Amino acid sequence: MIKSRANQSHAYRDFLIAWTSRIVRARYQQSILGGLWAIIQPAATVAVFTIIFTRFIPVDTGEIPYVVFSYSAMVPWLLFSASITDMVESLVMNMNLVTKIFFPREILVLAALLARVFDFAIAFSILIVLIMVYRLPVLHIGWLFLPVILAIQMALSLGLGLIGASLNVFYRDIKHMIGLGMQLWFYATPIIYPPTLVPEAWRSLYHLNPMVGVIESYRAVLLRGQLPSSSLLISAALAAGILVAGYLFFRLVEHQFADVV
Amino acid sequence: MDSMEYTVQAINLSKRYRIGHAPLSLRSLLGSKKYSQVDRYHWAVKDVCFGLKPGESLGIIGPNGAGKTTILKLLSRITYPTEGEISMDGRFSALIELGAGFHPDLTGRENIFLNGTILGMRREEIQERFDRIVEFAGIGDYLDTPVKRYSSGMYARLGFSVAAHVDPEILLVDEVLAVGDMAFQKKCYDHMLKLRDKGTTLIFISHNLQAIQRVCSSCMVMYRGHKVFEGSPAEATAEYSNIIRRSAVELSHLGPVESGIAQRVMTHKGVIQDIAMLNQDGEPALTVHSGETVRVRAKIAFHETSPSPVFACLIQKPDGQFVYNYTTYWADLTTPTFEANTTAEIEFSLKINLVEGMYYLGLNLAYSDLSRYYDRIDRALDFFVVGGDGARGVADLRAQFKVL
Repeated sequence: MIKSRANQSHAYRDFLIAWTSRIVRARYQQSILGGLWAIIQPAATVAVFTIIFTRFIPVDTGEIPYVVFSYSAMVPWLLFSASITDMVESLVMNMNLVTKIFFPREILVLAALLARVFDFAIAFSILIVLIMVYRLPVLHIGWLFLPVILAIQMALSLGLGLIGASLNVFYRDIKHMIGLGMQLWFYATPIIYPPTLVPEAWRSLYHLNPMVGVIESYRAVLLRGQLPSSSLLISAALAAGILVAGYLFFRLVEHQFADVV
Repeated sequence: MDSMEYTVQAINLSKRYRIGHAPLSLRSLLGSKKYSQVDRYHWAVKDVCFGLKPGESLGIIGPNGAGKTTILKLLSRITYPTEGEISMDGRFSALIELGAGFHPDLTGRENIFLNGTILGMRREEIQERFDRIVEFAGIGDYLDTPVKRYSSGMYARLGFSVAAHVDPEILLVDEVLAVGDMAFQKKCYDHMLKLRDKGTTLIFISHNLQAIQRVCSSCMVMYRGHKVFEGSPAEATAEYSNIIRRSAVELSHLGPVESGIAQRVMTHKGVIQDIAMLNQDGEPALTVHSGETVRVRAKIAFHETSPSPVFACLIQKPDGQFVYNYTTYWADLTTPTFEANTTAEIEFSLKINLVEGMYYLGLNLAYSDLSRYYDRIDRALDFFVVGGDGARGVADLRAQFKVL
């Protein structure tokens, strides 16, 4: 039982900001290309898939050119997978802080996520350029939903990140499991192929993957000038549930972090 | 007493750690109260109680592994108690390790902000105290140098400076000042005293018993997780040396112990058995006339061959003030090698030019390279000095006044 009159948590907002910017600065320090890496990675991956799925095994993406089709999904996907990988490691990598200083531990996890949003913003700006180059509809009413889609995606990431980060303190297998899991999850999400290729019988199961609704909604808004797809509701519900569960789990086990190292 | 007056209070504070690397089960992770029978546990802290009011300062002393740092980690919410309660009323700052949050590649300036925010300060609070932090740390010229190029002293100074300027209502300081030089240590102690006088509640861990006496209003001695003594810093200091001695005797009977549970301050391969103070007539006496020359005789049992050990004698006042300290090493004396399982007797004379009062006599027996003690008794016997000329202070220098 610990009682403390002063609620110090409001004071840690500045720590969140300082720690996030520390991660971003450390990532690109002593690198020549710096923030360009945030673009190079999705661009290179998309280039490979574009060659494969337009030349070798043509995939029908309707009127949308394959490059934009896959890049528009690759950018949010990389935010998702890279942030989860970072979040899972965030506690273990900073154990010297966890065992020496008191502060709300979730800040480390949250900062790992926010630091990836910085990369996302860079890569996303290129996506806007692509959309304009291919003369797809821009700045329509659907764009108002972009922050909502992003928020749902981040809630989902944070929930998984909180669980993964705390489990990784106890079992280092988690790190490897996450690496494998992200690879498989990539193919279970319509990033390099349209969801119409999924057999009808599997569709409802397929939509239980919360990233399906997220990716479909990004595409609907960004590429087709539509409102988010209805499957975003499933994603929102799952994301909210996972975030709450993740936070509760984190609170339940965080008092053991400093003892386990 | 009304418990609401306390800023820091611990009731039956206990912390248990698992020994070894037993595999964690998911059930234990989720906080099941059924502890597995296979696991072995160790109480790092057991049933410790204390309460501090604003402006009070508590020193904690004890050998390594006695639970001192665990208490600070429990108070600062880094780790959580297994049993018992803690209540902390006010903003706290804990110095468990200086500069723990520093990033080596960032400059001193950047680290002040980063470390300050980790310690719970707002950016504007740091901005406002920035000049004071830099001045206190004395790193002015190196402000824009990455801290990886700092000397360990500079690193520690900056770490202390940031943490000390959190302006806490409760300040927890672990044995962290040992790295700095004497001048900086003094500065830190002065700062701690200043905070204490402003009403900050202070808890201070140190092996530096003089620092404890300087900074703390009370002191508790920890031994193997238990609070074994609480009282004035001077009493606690005396008690501490007795505990160390007793534990060393125990350890020599128990053989090697598990690492981390107790520190072998003394190897006890040579044991001081008997100390007596003899007056001019060769009679044992504990009351000495000021100016008299006495002889101190001690019997020492060597359990192992001990090449040229160093003998030291020290005299303290009951308040802990050092009166006298001298060693065979400083006297440039080389003692012979004492063979295993022999007993030796040593003797030295002392001219008691002390003012009236009570004094503690101590005797230490150290390795020839001064790395460890064979045995150490800081309070071997108490003696009284009587019949002075009315002088006050410590030393009786026999001033002879004359009008010329």
